[in-house]
Amino acid sequence: MSAQKTAKEARYRELKLSMEVFFSNKSAVAGLIIFLFYFFDAIILQFFPQVMPFKHPYSLTPNYVNPIPLPPSKKFPFGTTYPGVNLLTAIIKSIRLDFWLSLAVVVPGAFLGVIIGIVATYFGGLVDEVLMRITDIVFSIPYLVLAIAIGYVLGRTLNSMMIALILVWWPLYARYARSITLEVKEITFIEAARAAGSSKMKIMFRHILPNSLPPVFVQMSLDLGTIMLAISALAFIGFLPAANLPELGYLTSLGYNYVETAPWAMIIPGMFIVLFALAVNLMGDGFRDVIDPRRRSAL
Amino acid sequence: MMENRKHDSSPIVKIENLHLHYYTRRGVYKALNGVNLEIRRGEVLGVAGESGCGKSTLGRAIMGIIPRNAAIVEGKIIVDGVDYLKPLREYFKRAKKFKPTKNQDLLKKVNEEMSKVRGQKISMVFQEPMTTLNPLLTVGYQISEALFYHNPGLLASRRLARARATKEDTKNIVKILKEEGEGERFRQYLKNRNIMGLEDQIISIWRRRELHDLKKEQMILDLCCEPISSMARGYLEQIEKTNLLPKFSKLPIVGRIVKREILKEAYKKSAEFLGLLGIPDPDKVVYMYPHELSGGQRQRIVITTAMINNPNLVILDEPTSALDVTIQAQILELVKELKEKINSTYMFISHDLSVLSEVSDRIAIMYAGQIVEIGPRSAIFNSPKHPYTQMLMEAIPTIEAHELKAIKGEVPDMRNPPKGCMFYPRCPYAMPICKEKRPQLFKVGEDHYVACYLYGGEKK
Amino acid sequence: MLLFIPTLIGLTVIVFTLLHIGGTTKLLAMYLSPRLTGAARAHVIAELDAKFHLNQPVYVQYFYWLIQILEGNWGITNTPLYSGPVTQAIEIFFPNTLILTIFAAIIIWLVSIPLGVHTAVNRDKPSDNTIRVASLTFYAMPWYLIGVVLIIIFAVYFRVLPIAGTVNPSLVSGLPWYHNGISYPTHILLIDALLHGDFGVAWNAFLHLIMPSVTLSLGVMAALIRLMRGTMLETMDQDFVNFARAKGVPEKVVINLHAKNNALLPVVTNFGYLVAGLLGGVVVIEDVFSYPGIGMWLTSAMLNNDMGGIMGGTLLFGLILVTTSLFLDILYAKIDPRIRY
Repeated sequence: MSAQKTAKEARYRELKLSMEVFFSNKSAVAGLIIFLFYFFDAIILQFFPQVMPFKHPYSLTPNYVNPIPLPPSKKFPFGTTYPGVNLLTAIIKSIRLDFWLSLAVVVPGAFLGVIIGIVATYFGGLVDEVLMRITDIVFSIPYLVLAIAIGYVLGRTLNSMMIALILVWWPLYARYARSITLEVKEITFIEAARAAGSSKMKIMFRHILPNSLPPVFVQMSLDLGTIMLAISALAFIGFLPAANLPELGYLTSLGYNYVETAPWAMIIPGMFIVLFALAVNLMGDGFRDVIDPRRRSAL
Repeated sequence: MMENRKHDSSPIVKIENLHLHYYTRRGVYKALNGVNLEIRRGEVLGVAGESGCGKSTLGRAIMGIIPRNAAIVEGKIIVDGVDYLKPLREYFKRAKKFKPTKNQDLLKKVNEEMSKVRGQKISMVFQEPMTTLNPLLTVGYQISEALFYHNPGLLASRRLARARATKEDTKNIVKILKEEGEGERFRQYLKNRNIMGLEDQIISIWRRRELHDLKKEQMILDLCCEPISSMARGYLEQIEKTNLLPKFSKLPIVGRIVKREILKEAYKKSAEFLGLLGIPDPDKVVYMYPHELSGGQRQRIVITTAMINNPNLVILDEPTSALDVTIQAQILELVKELKEKINSTYMFISHDLSVLSEVSDRIAIMYAGQIVEIGPRSAIFNSPKHPYTQMLMEAIPTIEAHELKAIKGEVPDMRNPPKGCMFYPRCPYAMPICKEKRPQLFKVGEDHYVACYLYGGEKK
Repeated sequence: MLLFIPTLIGLTVIVFTLLHIGGTTKLLAMYLSPRLTGAARAHVIAELDAKFHLNQPVYVQYFYWLIQILEGNWGITNTPLYSGPVTQAIEIFFPNTLILTIFAAIIIWLVSIPLGVHTAVNRDKPSDNTIRVASLTFYAMPWYLIGVVLIIIFAVYFRVLPIAGTVNPSLVSGLPWYHNGISYPTHILLIDALLHGDFGVAWNAFLHLIMPSVTLSLGVMAALIRLMRGTMLETMDQDFVNFARAKGVPEKVVINLHAKNNALLPVVTNFGYLVAGLLGGVVVIEDVFSYPGIGMWLTSAMLNNDMGGIMGGTLLFGLILVTTSLFLDILYAKIDPRIRY
């Protein structure tokens, strides 16, 4: 009874320490706050679009009467971009798409990669070797280029962009999960579980998986930013032919022809990409401090 | 030399009331809590204690190699009359809040200052030979570094001597050696001919046991007439005189030649020294990389590096703990041999009392960042006074059957150690005062001190 | 090193698979000029059919395709930028990309290693914090945005650097060694101009290279600084660094010889990813600066649904990366005595 109580207390203390470590890192907290802004923006527009005063929450509203970008003013706090799109509302709409798209790439990519990585390490030998070669091969093509090639084959749509990025991203997680699993595999309690006669499956998913999850989560939070960068880069070079899609990269590319006369048309939507990538990076670094025992104790 | 050292009775290292705390996120870890210790010239001081008692921290603090989150809260370490850690202590006194970055700045200064002493007057052997050597550099280079930065004069004079010596000289030297050995006449001859740099080279050849005399003679005869480029010669002579390295970066081509000459000489000297320690094939070993050597060999290399400048004090931080038992014995033999060959002082840190019993003159027992007992080896082993020491003695496994007793309880949490005696919670003889006040060292015998109220102070 | 061959084969398998998703039409598209019509078209299709054995099982087709690729028959590209054989397009565009990436790589190496060491040594101090924030910001910036910011500052506001292309066209018009936007003999304008002793053109070409290569380097540099700082911090905690200190080696040498060289090892192993980053960046940056290289050709092929360009570019980038990683392995073995092949 008392042992249980002390264990509970110890866990509570660890949790408290984790919070302390995270919240003592001011930039990580700032990152978290920014991330939450994006998150709520995405939630509200996705599930309660009626809250916002938008007629078309899922597409841009061009104004061909006055297509030339206008500088920021009272009416358009962020100015407008070609063709007469109000940047403020466009950005709010775009955040939704970018956020869910990043999530839709990172989560399945990580899931696939982690499962494959763990299975490969656990079985080792040939399985592992083959997997590592496959990841090598995928890594041997820059992801933007591979995404372009896949996009051509599947047709250049939003969905194929997502699929392309998942196909490009899972090897990263497979490798990552592999390296973590190799460490975790040696830890004694897994030895003990094996000695106690647990089945392989059980060891893998009961013992190895939970232990490799925290670092994977950190990696995922960092990758949300990288994926958003990749998506916006693809959109910028014209991967998505469909106009009117509220997407930050696309929004930025709209202003490209006016970069000399209307720099805000690129800078402002671009800033929102940077802000998100920065926020998740800071947040991820904070999380990493929390799970890294060395950083946790050092000052 | 020896006479000098005997006369100089001041201790090499004097540690006064040293408090060292590590600042971490999980709290302040009080590693050393008032250590008082003297290391006397020519002795072997054994330091024993459980892991985590601060013995390694103590060794590193003497060297000034402490991490940036280590605060010198109080007390001083006086090495050869200089208090190197003074800036750190003063910073801690001054600062309202301890900041590792500030501490690091000062530490950098301490490092710079101490780099003249380290490797030259005091040196250290680390515990883990597998990680102590830089994997990317040859063994020879890593030994040479110690010579290169502290004794370039010696190296230059060795090199110059080989250039100055004529065939005639080496023949004469062989003759003298055969007649009288390495005596006064041998030295006199070298001095007259201005080739003192040959001395240690010749002696190291002459003393080798595994070679035939004829072979040795041949080798000595070969130590002559080695030409140096005239450009480098001037610089080498300057280095010989001043024992200081010139600024190589300011001498575009010559600098490189001179540096290479000196390094090559350092490799030679390293190989000689390794040969003296009985390492086979030293000329090949110096060009090997650490991964090509076994753990025992690596530890020998580390010890060689520490000893090559004949330092006054060598701190051996558990040099045998990471090794196999057989290799441990060899390393201990090596240390004993060195103790006889090179007259220097040793601080031998170990958790293993049986190891200490073999090598040390005096033994200090540490517990929770304090010295609890210190005295001559015989006194510690025959009449241990502190309850902790007594318990340690009972915990040593021996060949004869005796009951092994583990020490009950655990080392106190060093983040908030007990207010009184550190050993109080585990002590079977605990008294009320032990809980209140930390005991000082009380004299209990000839040169034998114990920090325990059983032997002095206000007994109640 | 033994992994070189299987990776190469895997690379071709990937490209071939992509070509074959949905039948052989894509493969044909890669080798068939869209301008052909009627009987001529049917004739070429029959020819290709014979060449690639399109009626045979897929794996057999793969080998015939591989033979064509090895023989240098990479298909036909048809984009506004260039139309003709893929190999010729590569010959024209690749030199431009090469000089761009080399410039960027030099900048990256020269700046990020010293900065990484500096930040690690001065951990948590103002300079460390500044560099960390700056590099994180660049890391979080899409490449095109870095490019645009540079354009706004240096081309629009200060007007000191040109925005687009490889050279000011008025300077090169009528030069005997320059036609149709291609310089001879190396196709790298900067080098060709120097070879012909035309320093005015060389300087102009150099000015045109500055912004794209700086943009390219900034994004990758940020990652490298972070990596270098991390490994450096780790290395500085190692025993051998402390042992070097215990030997009395000056602090400068401890940092630059003992710590830095060991910290560089993981950086070298990860350099392959950085090269991949560079090549990926090329795609975007060449587009931003209208710089006629492989990246711009690739985007133009994408926009025009040009199979030859896309697959040729993919294969080329894959080849470059695989070869670089081979060289990196050799380099690594050179630096680290523990690894011997």
